[in-house]
This record gives sequence, structure tokens and C-alpha cells, in this order.
Amino acid sequence: MTQTTEAPPAAPQPKQRSQTRQVVLMWVVLTILLELFALFVPAHLMGAPASNDMIDIENSMTVFSVTAAPVAALVWAIAIYSLLRWRHRGSGPPDSAGAPIRTNVKVVAVWTAVSSLLCLFLFIWGEVELSAEQSSAAASNGTVIDVTGQQWAWTFSYPGAGGFTSDVLYLPVNKPVTFRVTSEDVVHSFWVVQLGTKIDANPGETTTASVTPDKLGTYAVRCAELCGIYHAYMEAKVHVVSASDFRAWLKSNKAQG
Amino acid sequence: MTDIQATPTAVTPSRPGGLMGRLNIGTGVLGGLILMGIFWLIAYATLSHGPGDTDSFGSDRVICVTMVGWLLGFMIGIGAFNGPVRWLLGKDLATEEHQFLAGKDQGIGRYFRYTTDHKVVGIQYLVLTMTLFFVGGSLAMMIRTDLITPGSHLFGLQTYNAVVGLHGIIMIIATIIMVTGPFGNFIMPIMIGARDMAFPRLNALSLWLIVPAVPVLLSAAFMGGIPTGWTAYAPLSNEAPPGMDAYLMTIITFAISVALSGMNITVTAITMRARGLSVVRLPIFVWGVVTASLLGLVAFPLFMTAQILEGLDRTAGTVFYVAQNGGSVWLYQNLFWLMGHPEVYVILIPGFCAVLELAPVFARKPLFSYRTAVVGIAGIVGLSGLVWAHHMYITGWAPDLGGPFMLTTEMISVPTGLLILVLVGTIWRGNVWTRLPMMAGYAMIWNFIIGGVTGIYLSDIPVDQALNGSLFVTAHFHYTLMGGAFVGGIAGLSYWFPKMTGRMLNEKWGAIGFWTSQAGFQVTFMSLFAIGLAGEPRRVGDFPLTFAAGNTVATIGAYVIMTGMLIYLGTLVWSWKYGEAAPPNPWGAKTLEWQTPTPVPLENFEVLPVVTSDFYGYGEPEPALDPEPVGVPAQPAMAAAVPVPDTVPESVPADAVTSAPVTSAAVAAGETAVPPQVAATGEQEPGEDPAGAGTAKEEEQ
Ligand code: HEM
Ligand SMILES: [Cu+2]
Ligand SMILES: [Cu+2]
Repeated sequence: MTQTTEAPPAAPQPKQRSQTRQVVLMWVVLTILLELFALFVPAHLMGAPASNDMIDIENSMTVFSVTAAPVAALVWAIAIYSLLRWRHRGSGPPDSAGAPIRTNVKVVAVWTAVSSLLCLFLFIWGEVELSAEQSSAAASNGTVIDVTGQQWAWTFSYPGAGGFTSDVLYLPVNKPVTFRVTSEDVVHSFWVVQLGTKIDANPGETTTASVTPDKLGTYAVRCAELCGIYHAYMEAKVHVVSASDFRAWLKSNKAQG
Repeated sequence: MTDIQATPTAVTPSRPGGLMGRLNIGTGVLGGLILMGIFWLIAYATLSHGPGDTDSFGSDRVICVTMVGWLLGFMIGIGAFNGPVRWLLGKDLATEEHQFLAGKDQGIGRYFRYTTDHKVVGIQYLVLTMTLFFVGGSLAMMIRTDLITPGSHLFGLQTYNAVVGLHGIIMIIATIIMVTGPFGNFIMPIMIGARDMAFPRLNALSLWLIVPAVPVLLSAAFMGGIPTGWTAYAPLSNEAPPGMDAYLMTIITFAISVALSGMNITVTAITMRARGLSVVRLPIFVWGVVTASLLGLVAFPLFMTAQILEGLDRTAGTVFYVAQNGGSVWLYQNLFWLMGHPEVYVILIPGFCAVLELAPVFARKPLFSYRTAVVGIAGIVGLSGLVWAHHMYITGWAPDLGGPFMLTTEMISVPTGLLILVLVGTIWRGNVWTRLPMMAGYAMIWNFIIGGVTGIYLSDIPVDQALNGSLFVTAHFHYTLMGGAFVGGIAGLSYWFPKMTGRMLNEKWGAIGFWTSQAGFQVTFMSLFAIGLAGEPRRVGDFPLTFAAGNTVATIGAYVIMTGMLIYLGTLVWSWKYGEAAPPNPWGAKTLEWQTPTPVPLENFEVLPVVTSDFYGYGEPEPALDPEPVGVPAQPAMAAAVPVPDTVPESVPADAVTSAPVTSAAVAAGETAVPPQVAATGEQEPGEDPAGAGTAKEEEQ
């Protein structure tokens, strides 16, 4: 990166500067458009969150999109600009060369520094979110639910309430729950879409995941790991209900069991 | 030592090559079928417990042994073992036999033999790759057609799963060989000024190992398919039908091939470079091919190990992956992804570097910051071995390692970003010639940015919790693999097509096909992003109504992709046969492969070139010639031949700059100088081209 060959300094300087200005302008415009996209589209596509974790996830999506937008915009702006302005017109090969720039130490240094900083930011952001998730999981002594995957159904059991089993999941709103997940045959993955909870169900192992649902409603459990022919239909319903409804449901099940 | 005696007797003038002369793909198939039959009989008699036996291992044993018979018989039949056997008998090959093996004077037949010439191997790889893409693409269309509306079952769910797995593994194999196979073999040795690869017979071996493995893989379709996805996670794979045996036999064979070709390419680039071609002058494409090959060499034995253990679980009753008996499903996943993540860079780096190689040619500028590019490649290769568990964030394996793996994964974006900087810097203030290879490079930038940014989401553990196992992942890796690497491969193919086939690729129809497929690609995989975010899992043969619109749009896009790819493929085939004849250097490039005549003569160079500068000096004053080296008359100085006065302004007349190497190449080949306008116009008929004409007859039939 030593042999900085600058362009011949004669004529092109003012033209060059105005071109750079145009690229920057294009970059700014593209960035604004992409930022609008980043702010509204990805999180929106993920649907309304129903837990603190899912809120964090959607925020992270937005933050990462907002961070990435200027980078993508810069690359695309230069690419598009080069097609508009630095394009060789005519059918034959170009009759002149472009600027013989071998390298530009400043550009490389700035690019490396900025991308490293962005990377560091991503990592720190992720770590903070992760430890928040983990500490809330550790602090929670909420409802424990045993989740068992098998080809091709989910079974939920409530050890705190006599250990009855159910094929629908009832969760109390605003109370932490901990899932203890395992499988009877192959690998499945326990996914409650709107809660942002996902953990593999492995044969011979028990994995755990915690979450605090914070919105009443009916959601979907899906299987997120190919587990055989009916993988697509390995679904279950999740009802997030008020504390009193939850107690009532537990009681009616205990009575039956 | 013994070859001195063997030489005179081994050669009969009428049929050089002796037995070799009679062997080709036909005898390979014959040998394969015979040995397959024999192995089947033996296995059936001894290993299975006869009809009606309840031991489920029996049939898998018989099938595996039968497949080994086929593979071995094919290799014997095509003559893969002739060389080693003769060597063991103390009979080395005579020069005529070497030339016969290299395909000298054998016309089209040499493409169907165990030919050692790297250019023949390159073309064989190209055809093989295109065939695989055709099959894999057809399977993709089956997937998308089946998913056009909820509940629309063209074929059952079992078949659906089988097709997804087959599509996945075929495409993975095809993309792994798509650049290092055709261009790493045909182009790379010429690029470094070598006459062939370091181990020509190993080269043929690495190709011909894949050929018989393809029918093995496809046979899975008739034995229950690969209903586990291409990742073949245990223990689902333990209970899968015999199609799984086909999968693991293919992987084992393919892994040997990848390791062999990785070793061969690496040794070639290290030991066979032309004089003066120091490491810092190497074309960046060579860096890409070599590092990717090295990475494959390290990664694929792990894949092989994983599948051997799986094979033992399936046939011998071992329990490596059976958790109930003390095995571990995470063992398989670790082995798989230890291969699996390096593998995505084995796919990506060569395609990306093909674009980095051609960007300076079409922008008429030096590659921006060569050293940054090398550092970027090295950084990716180094880090790629340390990130595998980002595929296992939500498996529950080693939660404490989540942070470190998140860090290494996100760190990879820095060297990857450097490669993007190099590409963008090369375009900056270029004089961009917007032919198809370059435009494919632009498409690659677009797609790869999207693939890269979505990769950042997936590298974050909390976000991956929502996205892992969803169609978002499918869309992400199609943007990187198909939109990035595959499009880079198309750029490379469009770029080197004239050198490899002697014909120009029809620009208009090639572009129509390419851009059509690109438009469809955006539609299909943008919809998959959307429905993936909304919560549709991947690998599902049916879906709830909420995802209906996205799926229908994705399928419509898929038909657009298919239309475009068929047009591109048709253009390719048509141009190969009827296209305009290509001049030796239609793009005015400076690298060595363009300084040879087209078609490239058997020995590539009559006089080996001496390199005095790197190959990116577009628009720069040419450095002075080296003093005449001793011994060889008119030693050409590649990439820096015609001295230009120091005061040349930015716009040097074209023929002074771009055609300079052509002149020296003609000297290199011992021919009279080519008129400079050959390179400048790109429209010369080869008949009028003194450099190409002499060798054309020798090469083509
Ligand atoms: C170079 C091109 C391509 C590559 C490398 C590639 C690779 C892959 C891989 C590795 C898988 C994963 C299979 C699995 O889950 O086990 C896959 C799945 C799939 N591919 Fe492709 N593919 C390519 C082209 C295409 C095209 C052109 C289409 C659409 C027309 C397509 C549609 C799909 C679909 C729908 C799936 C299934 C997604 C899922 O349910 O997980 N692919 N592909
Ligand atoms: Cu499943
Ligand atoms: Cu990975």
C-alpha cells in the first residue's frame, strides 16, 4: 500500500471534484431512502411482537438495518454513478484508460477503521442484548413447562401443576416462563414465532429457553428443524392469557388428569 | 531407471498409448456396471440376510457395497489406475504416451477420456458444472412449483423433502467446482505461465471421481431421495431410506476429489510460476483459486469423516450419533459445520476473485489496492475456520461460546468489506466498458451487499433466535451463493468463454438471458425474505394461508429465473457452436492467458514467458524492458512490453497500451507480431490472425 500513484495532476482536478460531489449527493439520497426502508420495513414484516424478547429482536433488526444502510448506499451509489458517468460509450473497447489509481492509503485506512468500528458496535450491541436476555432468564422463577417434540407433534407438560400434559400451550401474560425442551426421536426446533423464542429439541438432551409474554393473544408454535415427512404440519397453538384465566385453565386440567 | 528399457517396447506407432487408447467413458461405464454386478452378488450373498430379513442394516450394506463396486469399476474402466499400476511394474510412460494422455491430436475424443491436459480437464469441468446446474435448477423449479399455493401438492410431502435435499446438495457441489473446476484448471496454469498442472494425472483423477459420483447421487431419487435436506442431520439421516447411502457415498467420493484438486492447484501455483512472477505479481484470481482450494483441502476431510461415521451408523450398528445409546447429535453438527462454513467461502472466494480479475480489464484501471485484496482474502480464509458454531446458536450446544462465535462471525465482515472496497475502488473513475462480464460483476455487487447485510442479522444471537430455520435463511444464502458466487461464476464464464471455446459469447442474447434471470431472482428471494421474517420455516412442503401471497410471487419469480437461465444457456451452447470466432485477446486484457493464441496450443507457451511487472498497469506508463535475459532469443517481457514515453497523458492511444502484451505474446509463441488492432477492435476473424491460425489445426481435431 505504499505506491500511491495519484492521477496526473494536470486538467482533471476540478472535474474530479465535482464528480466526487455528485457521488456524495447520490450517496446521501440513497442513504435517506434506505434508512426509511430500514426504519419501517423489516420490523414491520416480523409482525407485532408479543414478548420483551421479540421487542428486543425487532429493535435489533432495525438498528442493524439503520447501521448497514449507509454502507450499502455508498457501494451502490458508486456503482450506479460509474454506470452513468464513467461508462465507456460505443461498441468497441475503450480507447483510453481510466485513472491509474493503484491505491489510496487514506481510503483503505478509513474504510478499515470504520468497518471495524461498525463490527465492534454490532458485537457490543449483541452482547448487551444477550446478557439482558440471560439475566432476565436467570432471575425468573416463573412457570416451568416441559416441551417434548416427537414426529410430528408437540406435547407440553406443567410439572408445577401436577405434571398433566396438553397439546396446546397456555401461558400467563407478563409472567416469565421457562421451557425445558427435549425430543423423543430426531432433532426438532421449538419456535414460538411471535415470542421470538427458539431452541432445538434434541434427543437425549434437555435445552432451556425463557421468555416473558407481554401481550394477550393466540400465537403459533412451529417446528424450525426438518424432522421428517410432516415437518410442515408440526404446529401447536399458544394462548397467552391473563393470570386468572391461566389459573382456571390449570385447574380444569388438573381436574381432568 | 527402468523406463529406459521400457520406452522402446511400450510404444507402437499405430496406437500410441496402448491400452490407454481404447479406454474412455464408455469402457468406464462398462467396467462400473460389471464390478457393480459382482459386488452386488457378493454383498447380497454375504452381507444381507436374504429376502424378508428384518435387520434394517442389511439392505444399506448391500447398497453401499454395490455403489463402491460401481465407482471402483468405473475408475478402472476409464484407466485411472493404469498409471500407478504401470509404475508399480516399473514401466514408466514414453513421451508419446504422455502426449497421448494429454490428448494430443485426438480431436473431440479427448474430452471423453482420462485426458491429462489441464485445458481438457477445464472444459470437462465446465460441461459437468453446467449439467449439474441444469439438474439442480430443474429440481428448484419442482420445489417452487409445488409451493405455488397452500395445499397444492404436485407430489407428496415425502417427495418434496427428497427434492429439496437433492436440489441443495447438487447446487452445493456444482457451486464448489463451478470456478475452480473450469477456470482454475483451464485458465489458472496459463495465467501463471505454466505448461500444465503440477500433477496432471491427479487432475484427471479429481474430475473423473466426480463423474461416476453423479449417477450415484441421482440414484438417490429412486431410493427415497435425501429427505433430510442437504445438511443430513443425524439422527434423521439414520432413519432415512437408502437414498441417504447415495448421499454419503457421493460426499465421500467428492471429498476425495476436492482434496486432490486442492492439493494439485496449490502445488501448481506455488511451484510452477513463470520467471519473475513473484507472489505480489500474481493475478488476484490465482490468489482466490489457491486459497479456496487450500480451504477445501482442510475442510472436506471433516465432511468425509462425518459421513463415514454416518455410514457406519447406518450399516454397522455403531451409535456415533444415536443419543439414546451414548452418541451425540451435536457431534455430527459440529463436524458438518466445521466443513460447512469454510465451504461457503470455498464457493464464494473464487467467484468474487473472478470479478476482481476482470474488473480492471473492463474499467481500464489497475486493481485498486492489490495488497488490501490479498489481506482481505487471507483474513476471510483465516477466520472462516473459527465461526462454524454460528450455525448452532440455537441448538443448545455450548451456550457460553455464543459470544465468542458472534465476535468471530462479525469480524469476518471486515475482510469481506475489504474485498468490496477493492472492487468499488477499481470501478472508481474508470472508463467502464459495460460488456456482460463486467455487468455480471455489477449484479454481483448488488446481490452480495444484500446477502452480506442479511448475514449480519443472522450473526447476532438474539436475532438469529427469530430467524434461524426460517425462509429468511434460505433467502440469505441464495443471495450470497446464487446472487454472489454463482453470478461471479457467470461473469468469469462470460469473460473466459472466448479463450476456452474460441468463440465470442453472443452479447445481446447472453445479456437478455442474464438480466431476465436477475430480475426473477430479486422477485423470488425478496419474497422469501418477507415470508421468512413473517415466520415461515424453511424446508416445508406446505404452509398456512398467511404466507400464500409471498409464495405465489416467489414461484412466479422462479419461472422468470428459469426463462432467463434457459436463454443464457441456449446462448452459451449456440455461441460455442456457431458464435463469432474470437480473437486471442478480445478484451484487451494484460494477464498471460490472453497473450496465448486461441485455441491455446497443447503446451500453452512455445517459450515460457518472463514477467517483469504485474498485470494491472492499465493507463500507466509502461516500465522499461528488463535487459535481455540470457539464452532465449527475443525473450518476451509480459505485461510490460512496449516502452511508452514517460510523459504520456491519461488518455494513451488504445493500441499503445492495450495491445502491447499481444505483441509480446506473439513473440512468445514464436510467431510474427500480431497487428495491434487485433486487441483493439476485437472483431478479427481467426483465419486472418497469424497467431491463432498456425495452432488452430493442431488443436481442433
Ligand atoms: C446457484 C444457485 C443455487 C444454489 C447454490 C442453491 C442452493 C440451495 C441450498 C443449499 C438449499 C438448501 C437445501 C436444504 O435446505 O437442504 C436450497 C434450497 C432451496 N432452493 Fe436453491 N439454490 C440455487 C438456486 C435456486 C433457484 C434458482 C431457486 C428458485 C427457482 C431455488 C429455490 C430453492 C428453494 C425454494 C429451496 C428450498 C427452501 C427451503 O425450504 O429451505 N434455488 N438451495
Ligand atoms: Cu420439524
Ligand atoms: Cu457459516
